This record gives sequence, C-alpha cells and structure tokens, in this order.
Amino acid sequence: MSDTPDLDHTLTALADPTRRAILRRLSRGEARVTELAAPFDISLNAVSKHIRMLERARLVTRRRTGREHILSFDPAPLTAASTWIDEQRALWTARLDALDALLLAEDRAAAENPEKQGSSDG
Amino acid sequence: MADDTRAQVRMTRRFTASAERVFDAWLDPTTAGRWLFATPTGEMVRVKIDARVGGAFCFTDRREGQDIDHIGRYEAVDRPRRLVFTFSVPHFSREATRVIIEITALSDGCELTLVHEGVLPDFKERTVSGWTMILDGLAASL
Repeated sequence: MSDTPDLDHTLTALADPTRRAILRRLSRGEARVTELAAPFDISLNAVSKHIRMLERARLVTRRRTGREHILSFDPAPLTAASTWIDEQRALWTARLDALDALLLAEDRAAAENPEKQGSSDG
Repeated sequence: MADDTRAQVRMTRRFTASAERVFDAWLDPTTAGRWLFATPTGEMVRVKIDARVGGAFCFTDRREGQDIDHIGRYEAVDRPRRLVFTFSVPHFSREATRVIIEITALSDGCELTLVHEGVLPDFKERTVSGWTMILDGLAASL
C-alpha cells in the first residue's frame, strides 16, 4: 500500500527457520549471496528466493559493487514492530484477564447474595 | 526508515457475561478503574470518563508515587457493539494510538475483538545486537 513496511511481510519473512538463520548471519555483518548460502544444505536458487522475501519485508537490503551483490540487515521494521506488538499484546492480555476475573467475581457475588442483585439479569 | 511504521495488535476473547456488561465495563468509571489501565502494583487514583463521541477520558494510575495518566478521546460509542478511542500515555510516548473494540453477542455470552493500531516511533537507536533476542522471542510465538 504505502511505502511503510508491511507487517504481514515482516512476519511471513520471519516464519521460516532458514530465513531467520540468514538474518542472524547478517546481523553479524554484511555478506555476499554465496557466503550466505554456504552453511545451508539447499540450492543457491532456494537461498535467493529466501533473500527476496527478506528484501520484500525490507529486513535485507542489497547493494552492488561490480559483479558482487552485498546483502545487509536492516532491523528497523522488525524491532519497531515486534517490540511494540509484544508489549501491547502482553498488556491487553493482562487487562482482558483482569476484566474477565472482575466479571466472574461479580457473578459469584450475585449468586451468593441473590437478594442484593438488582433488576439486571446479566 | 520512515518514522510512521504502522503496527497492529489484534486479539479475540470470549466472555460468559453479556455484550452489554462487557461493553459497560469499559465506560463505567468505577468498573473500568478496577481493570482497564490498572496495574498490580499501582493505585488507580482518578478515573474521568466522558463516554460520548468526542468525549475524553483520563485514568491516573499512581506507581511508586508517580501519577501516570492514560488519556484519549472516544471516536465511536455504539453500545454494546462498538467502541473506538484514541489512546496515549504521555509519560512514555507522545504517540497517539487507536483502540477499536467490537463485541458480538453470543447465546452464552459474547466475543470481543480488540484491535490496537499504533504509529510507531523511530527505533533507530536500538542496537542490532538486541535484535537477535527479539527475533528468537518472536520465533517462539510463530
């Protein structure tokens, strides 16, 4: 849609162990495609496909020096998105847990003191 | 990176309580103050809710002597189906976010869907080394 990274692309890119391993390698420093492919027991072509998905998610950027393609890692989409999402998900899970507990406690109190319950039938 | 990276949290939750009770729990100051922006160690010292479109809210949670305001403005108030509000905690971030609550009545309670949309700050200062940990944590949840 816009030129901001798509979170779905980010998460799709991360949902594969080979791609995560590629990112871990690149988080230690930039590398050529052939260097990246070396530790994996898959074809160079397959590694290139993984890299394209990482580029689409903007987690990996490519620059050319002569005939070499040098890949590097850009953590910005990942750190920004995942940090915020993890924090908010944890917060809302806790809040909705608290809401659930509160409503159940009200139900129990109403069951124990039925005469105190108003016209509300829940 | 542009500083307008958008992210979204979405979750669904079922309650045995009616849609009306769950909806009202967001807007009744006494009830909302007991759970919404309350923290286990904090003390909810003030809750102001003007529950109409354009109305503002402010929840003040006192944490270790410091008053933390949770503020926002209601954009949709459609009992018991839909509630939309902006939300920010100025103490931590000036970024305004948006929370969209949709509640569907079921025969035995209701289902609530929550979407929290954020406009993220730029995380340029975050180091790459911290990233591997985040990635491993994320991998576990996928």
